[in-house]
Parts: sequence; C-alpha cells; structure tokens
Amino acid sequence: MRLGHLHLDPTMTDFAAEPHPPRVLRRMTRARRFRRQLVPYLYLLPAVACFVIWIYEPLAQAFVLSFQQWNLLPTAPKTWVGLDNYRNIFDLPKFWQALGNTWYYLVGLLPLAVLLPLVIALFTQDLPPRSRNLYRALIFVPMIVPPVVAAAVWRWLLDPSHGILNLGLQGLGTKPIGFLSDPDLALWTITFITGWKLIGFATLILSAANAAIDESLVEAARLDGASNWEIIRDIRLPLLSPTLMLLILMVVLLGAQWSFSYIHVLTEGGPLGSTTNIYYLLWQFGFGSLSVGWSSASAVILFVGFGLLAAALFALKAKVTFHDD
Amino acid sequence: MKTTLLAVAVALSATAALAQSMPAEVTEPVTITFYNYNLASAGNGADATRKMIAEFEAAHPNIHVEGVPVQPQDIATRLQADIVAGQSVDLVQMPFAALGFAAENLGAVALEDIVPAEELAGHFEGMVPNGLELGRLNGKTYGLAYTFSTPVLFYNADLFRKAGLDPDQPPATWAELKEAALKIKASTDALPLATGIYGPTALDWLMQGVINSNGGAVINADRTEMTFASPEAIEAIAMLRDLAQEGITENLSITAQMEGMAAGNTAMYLQTSAIQGYLVKGATGNFELRAAAMPAFGDKPVKPSNSGSALSLHSTDPVKQRAAWELMKYLTSERGYTIITSEIGYLPLRPSIVNDPEYLGEWVKAHPLVQPNLAQLEKLAPYVPLPGPNYLQIGISMMDAMEMATFGNDDDVAGILTEAQERTQRLMP
Amino acid sequence: MMTDAATLAPVRPRRRALALSGWDTGVGHALMILVSLVCVFPIYWMIVTSLRPENAIFSTRLWPDAASLDNYAYALRAVPMQRMLVNTFIVSAAVTAVQLLSGILAGYAFARWRFRGSAILFGAVALTWLVPLQVVMIPNYLLVARLGMIDTLGALILPHIASAFAIMLLAQSMRSFPTEVVEAARMDGGNHWQILWQVIAPNLRGTLASLAILIFITTWNEYFWPLLLTRSPENSVVQIGLQMFISSEGTQWGPLMAASTMASLPILLIYLVLQRQVISSFMKSGLR
Repeated sequence: MRLGHLHLDPTMTDFAAEPHPPRVLRRMTRARRFRRQLVPYLYLLPAVACFVIWIYEPLAQAFVLSFQQWNLLPTAPKTWVGLDNYRNIFDLPKFWQALGNTWYYLVGLLPLAVLLPLVIALFTQDLPPRSRNLYRALIFVPMIVPPVVAAAVWRWLLDPSHGILNLGLQGLGTKPIGFLSDPDLALWTITFITGWKLIGFATLILSAANAAIDESLVEAARLDGASNWEIIRDIRLPLLSPTLMLLILMVVLLGAQWSFSYIHVLTEGGPLGSTTNIYYLLWQFGFGSLSVGWSSASAVILFVGFGLLAAALFALKAKVTFHDD
Repeated sequence: MKTTLLAVAVALSATAALAQSMPAEVTEPVTITFYNYNLASAGNGADATRKMIAEFEAAHPNIHVEGVPVQPQDIATRLQADIVAGQSVDLVQMPFAALGFAAENLGAVALEDIVPAEELAGHFEGMVPNGLELGRLNGKTYGLAYTFSTPVLFYNADLFRKAGLDPDQPPATWAELKEAALKIKASTDALPLATGIYGPTALDWLMQGVINSNGGAVINADRTEMTFASPEAIEAIAMLRDLAQEGITENLSITAQMEGMAAGNTAMYLQTSAIQGYLVKGATGNFELRAAAMPAFGDKPVKPSNSGSALSLHSTDPVKQRAAWELMKYLTSERGYTIITSEIGYLPLRPSIVNDPEYLGEWVKAHPLVQPNLAQLEKLAPYVPLPGPNYLQIGISMMDAMEMATFGNDDDVAGILTEAQERTQRLMP
Repeated sequence: MMTDAATLAPVRPRRRALALSGWDTGVGHALMILVSLVCVFPIYWMIVTSLRPENAIFSTRLWPDAASLDNYAYALRAVPMQRMLVNTFIVSAAVTAVQLLSGILAGYAFARWRFRGSAILFGAVALTWLVPLQVVMIPNYLLVARLGMIDTLGALILPHIASAFAIMLLAQSMRSFPTEVVEAARMDGGNHWQILWQVIAPNLRGTLASLAILIFITTWNEYFWPLLLTRSPENSVVQIGLQMFISSEGTQWGPLMAASTMASLPILLIYLVLQRQVISSFMKSGLR
C-alpha cells in the first residue's frame, strides 16, 4: 500500500493553494478581490503590530544610537562618534574568546537539547501511559524552578569542598574537580546545566509533534511487518524533521542567551573568560553600562551576526525538509 | 549647533532653577522618592530602612517618602530610565562606584549649591573627615556617605588552631599571611585564602585598597590617567600571583568564596565587612569566626578602600529639595547611623556615637567583630570613581587584565598590565 | 520519503503493536532512569535545603536532620508571597492566552495563504528572536511610562502579545495538516475563520497544550522586564520576590529555597493538567 497519496509532505505547499478557482475570481469585483487579498494581513496584524511597536521600533532607534555617544538624558549632548563604538567592542581582548566560546556552547547544547529529547520522546511514546507520563513529568521537573535557583543548587552540588559530587569522587579516590573554577571545564559545566534545564522543553515539543503523527500510517506499516526502528527511520523522523530543524535553529540562535542566567550566577564569564560568550560579553560591556552607544552597537552586532546565521540556517532547513515522493 | 545651544540653554536654566533657594522648611504636603537598595533585599536592611523612614515621617508630617527598591547594580540604569521617563527622582542611595557618573550625568546636585552654608557646616560637624571626602568631587559634595564598609580579614579560628596558629595573633602583613596560609595548606583541607578582589560586580573597589596599601594607585588624583601599571601596582599584583601559584588562593567566583567561608571550608577571607551578618549565620554552631584588619605590605601603612553607598540628591523642585535634604540629614544623623550600624551592619560615620551609651555604646561592647572595621575608619583612602561615560568598560577591562595576571599562565605581570593600561587609557574621556 | 512497505526486505514476521525487544527495553529504561534521576535530584536538593536552618545550608547529608518549616514561614513574612503568586499567575495566564491567540492567527496566515511579502514577514517574525531584551528595554520602558502604566500588571503583559516561537511552531504544525480535511470543510461551505477554529485548532490540541505550558513557564520565570517596571512589592511578580532574598552581601539561602519551592508548585500543576493533552490527539474527529 502506498502511503504517499496522503500528501503528508511537511512543506505542504498544497495547503496554501489558491482559495478560489480562477473563473470565480474573474467574476469578483476589484473591491471584493482586494478585500480577500487583505485577509491574510489581517490575521497577521496583532502579531506584527506587537513586534513593530515593541521590538522593531526600539531596534531601529538602537541602530541610530549605535553611532553616537549619549546617556539618553534629554539635557545631555549627543555626540556623533561614527564607528567608534563598534571599534571599541571589536577591540576588547575577550571578544574573540567570547565568539569561540559561543561556538562551543552551541555545539555542546545540541546533544542535550535536541538529540536526547528526541530519544526520550520516541522511547516514551510507546510505553504504557503510566510510565510514559511519569518519565515525562520527571524529565520536565527542571523547568519548574527559576534559573537563578537552579544555578545556585548546581553550584552547591558541584562545589569542590562541600558538593556531594566531589565528595563522592573523593570517596572513589580522585581529587576534587573544580567544575566551575577550572578554565578547561567551566564552559562544559555550564553547557551541561543549560542543557539540563532544556531537556523537558524539547521533549515536550517533540512529544507533541510525535503525537500529531497519523497513527494509521504507523499501524499500516506495522501490519506490513515493519520493525520499530524502521518505523522511526521512515515515518517518524521525516515527519519530525521540521520540528527538529526548528529546535536546532532555536539552539543555535538562542543558545547563547539561554546560558546567560547560569553564566551570570555561576562564573560571571570567568574564570579568565573561559565561560563568557558573545551575548554575555556584550551584556557586560554594552547593556550593563549607561553609555547607550556601547549597548546599541552591541545590539546591532548581535542582531546582524545571528541574523546572517539564521538566514543560512533557514536556507539549509528549506533544503533538508523538502522531500519528494 | 542647534543641539548644543539647546543643551546649553537647558543647562543654564537648570542652574538658574538651582540658584533659587529652597525654602527653610516644608509647609505643604509633599511626596519624595527614595531609591534604595536595602529595600530590595528582604531582611535586616529593608526592615531598618523602613523603620528609619517611619521615624522620619513621624517627625515630619508634611513629608511622605516613597521607597523605590532597586538592586545596587541596577541603580544607575534605573535612574537613567526614570529620569528620561519623567519620573520624580529625589533621594538616591548611590553606590560609590557610580557617584562620578551620577554627578556628571544623572543630575546629582551639589549640596553647596542649595543648602545655606551654616546649615551645611552644622550638619557636617562630627562626621569622619575621610567619610565626607568620599562624597566630594571637584571640591563639591555630591553625596553623603551613608552605608559604608571597609575590607576586613575574616578568619576561622578553629582552622587556625588546627594548623597550629594562634587565633589571637592574626596575620598583619601579606608576608605573615602567606606563612600562615602555607601552614594551613599543609595541615588542613581548607582553602587558605579567599578574597573579594575579583568578580565583575566587585569592579575595582577592593583592588584599589590593595594597590593603595602598596603606595600605588589605579588612577591618578585628577582622574585623567590610568596608573595601574606603575611599579607599586605591578608589585602588588605579583604578590597576589605568588599566592595563587602556591595554591593559597583560587580563582573562584565571588559567591563560591563567600559560601566557602560561611560553610567553614575556608580559613581566611578578605572582603567587605558588610557580609559579616551572613558569615555569622553560617558560623553559628559550626566554627568560631573572627575578624582582623586588612593586611599591610611590610611596614607601609594600610590604606583600605571603601565600599557602600552615598546619598545623592536629584530633585529639581525647591520644595522637594528641602524635603529630600531633611531626609538626608536624618539618615546621616546620630540616630540614623546608630540604626545603620546596629541593625544593618555598616560603619557609623559619626565616631562620637560609638562610645555614647545613648547610641552605640552598649552595642559595640556586645559585638567585638566590628572593632577592626571601626579602627580602619581613620586610615581609609577614598575609592576613586573611574571617569567618563566609559567608566564601566574601563573598570572591567582593567580588572580582566589583573585577573589574567594573577591567575593566568603568563608570568609577565608587567607586560599584561602595561598593555591593558594603554588600552584603557584610550577609553578615558 | 515513504517507504513502500511492500518493498521492505526481508519481510519480518508480524510483531505485536507495543512490543519492544528485551534488550531495547532494558537499555531504554536504564537510560530513562538515569536521566530522570539527574533531572530530579537538584530539585530534591532544593527542597531539602529549604527545610534546613541557616547554619546547615551547606551540609552534604542527603536528608535534612532538623527539618523545619521556619524558612517557609520567614519567606511568607518577608515578602508578600501570596500576592506575588497571584500577580504572576494573572500575568502568565494572560500572556499565554494572548500569545496562543495571536500565534494561531498568524500561523494560519502563513500556512494557509500565499501572499505578497509572506517570506519577508515570516523572516521579520523569526528575526525578533535575535533581539535581546536589554536592547528594547529602555525604549519600551519609556513607552510604558508615557502610557502611565508603570508599576501595573498590564505593562507586564502588553509587550508580550505575540511570540515568534508560538507563530513558527503553529505555522509549521498547520502546514503539516492534511489538505483533504480542509478541502472537505470548504466543500461543506466553511469560510477561513470557521475552518481555523472548528477544524484545525481542535486537532492541534497537543501542540497548543505544550505551547501553553512553555509560554506559561517562560512568562512565570521572566525577570528583567518586571524588575524594571515594578516599584512596589505588592504589584510585582514572584521572581522579584525571589530576588529579594539574594544580595551581594549574603543571600538568605534557606528562605530563597523555600520561596522557590512555593514558586515552582503552580507551574508543576499547570504541567500536570495540560500534559494530558499531549497525547495522540490526531484527528479524533476528522478523517472519516
């Protein structure tokens, strides 16, 4: 039995077909046609209005401010400094270190924030409801605590002197490990904590997407004798690929921001800059200061930099999730 | 050109408004805002502040004080946002590090400009001269030192005894400290020394004290040149590097070091006296906590720096100025400092109350931990705020370089500091 | 993409629907137990710490020796906890409702129609992700001040009317919706609005429920924006309350853990209630 005829291609361009066949359109008056074409924009209006007012307008202001030095007070002078703010930022010795660290953060987050949740979502899907719900609820628990508190608890658990993890290791005979004070380890520790917090989030999304897959497809495949692995490989994974790509996109674009709370509470970018990332660095130097020029320039750098990355990833996403029957 | 003219005109008219004298007393009901960071944390600080506000309002029925709780690291940003948004900003508990910025950019009013000279002199009488100096910039008083502390060397007497050291003879110099630390390292598992020197939120307040004590300075007197690559400063950092290399101190985060001390896992902790309450809570029933003065470099005089806040006045309306000034006077009076010291844990800036039984006399006898702190009051060298709109970036860059020189793999302390000094000099106004 | 099941070779014997091989199950469960433990243990530690006195905060014993609810009593006294919980609940519920609504509408627009500028608008929506809060904080604050809404709950809700994540997730879920059902509904004479609310949305229950949980949590844990806006503890949210136990001069760990436990319970409840929807809810009433 061929399953293809159900048109379950995720890119689903057929869905967005013309709402009316051409001969109907010709008979409409221009006014009615115009109103019909307006409809999608009306659906978009609340969201777009919100974004324009609360995000894009300030961003545009920030862009202009990034070329000035001003402290926002109307009585104070605005000095035009051209590219000085940008130059100062790129001049920071930690800038390139932060950039490199960002790469490590993003790559390090993917296993915990995408791969592991995928495995969990798939594995728990087929379990009896009680164990499935129990596992999922337990995995979700890290999300209920505020980041600040989660960071503090992990700091205690990992402390070289009074942390039980190190006490356990000492019991096994090794020396205590400075999870957060060793410049070589600190970044991975924070990546782990950030990922730990996110497992529940990604599992939830993937479970929902998994649950939305037509069970009749799976039944049909089973009737034909497909093994679980084959079902996963041939049905679930492809149908989950848009969601997976969305998650990967989120990790890449937002990973640096997600780790912010933990960096801030646990290491403040240290030791020796080993845990700072581009977002934290710009927060420290840009947003933490009152010189609007620095913070605006930081904002523009983050926006443009990640924007380019996002564009590249979107292009990749379009390629990867397009399948032909 | 037009903008400059406009700015000048606005500035002139603002000064003209200031020149209007504020009334001698408040005769109509008025509400003033008090931006305060003690109110932002639950506990003694908030309770004591509310108590003082209540007492003040009882004595001044026409004045209502609206407390605005803001965390200390956010005060300058919040002020900036509120001033631009047109909110009324009257009295502010301004951290010293931001006082320079507040004076230059946030409209802090010089007291000499609005308060009649005899009234001002009358209030200043009895305050520690060093304390008054702290709020002065360019000869004018922009802030009155309010909550105030100096660095103190806390130490764990039990660990001292375990290492064979006498807890009644704490180290007085860095050299003695190193000796004691090595003994502690040899006979216990504890971390010998923790400090509050490094950490982005600390900026350079404690480091200034360390370098000052060696005869150097991070910035010159008229705040035009960075001087943290001078020989004395390099020597001080090299001393810290030596301690790090010997494993006496580690590059832990500020909170981790504080917790380590409170948990009894650290032998000595050089940090602001303001955390005393926190350490006492952790120590109760676990170990004996003691305090000593900041260590000296050989026989050079110790010059501890200060942390804490000053009260700065930002009102532009004359009636509110009078109201805010009355509150300011109350908070920095004998009664005010009595509450601040006994209930919050900061230093009293009117030495006369220390032995006066009506004020702090009894309390000081019952709380010996505060003695080293009080003794250092005479010796302190005011924290010098970094200048210009880039003050934060200058401070962070400087401290990053110093952290690298202390804990990094490169032994060339002089080279690292010199390079950083040149770089930060470029950010000076 | 779809493997023709008939071409699978070699043909395997029929298996029972829910059977997993012994090895799979064993390894799977072991992994799940390990991950669950790692997830839950820090939370357990938080609760245990909340029951400890101040001088035993850093104790490493797995069980609190002198367990007491003192920290909870103190936390409730020191900050207006109940009021803050109510405020936070109102704000989170409102933001969740509004973001789901604007997300469904916008997602539908992107999934259902091809219109001029759709790619650009979609990009513009996605790019809002890249704008960190601190950039827009001050201008937004000024706008709120001009509206006279400082220190109100409304100001906490207003900037969050739409969420890029909600829109993108819903657009994608709607795109994956089978066309025949929509076609069938149109044949029955439904217009766009009816199709959206009577056919599509009810069948996205799982996605909507998980989205609701996530939006609720994100809003519940939001900190920087409420910090800027609120001036009085009675009008603030629970995160501000938690911050009141944290200070650079010594954090009150016991009360903080107690307050944090109290602040986490509502979210856990929301999760437990809504997660039941995240099951196979596909096409309960659709394809006949």
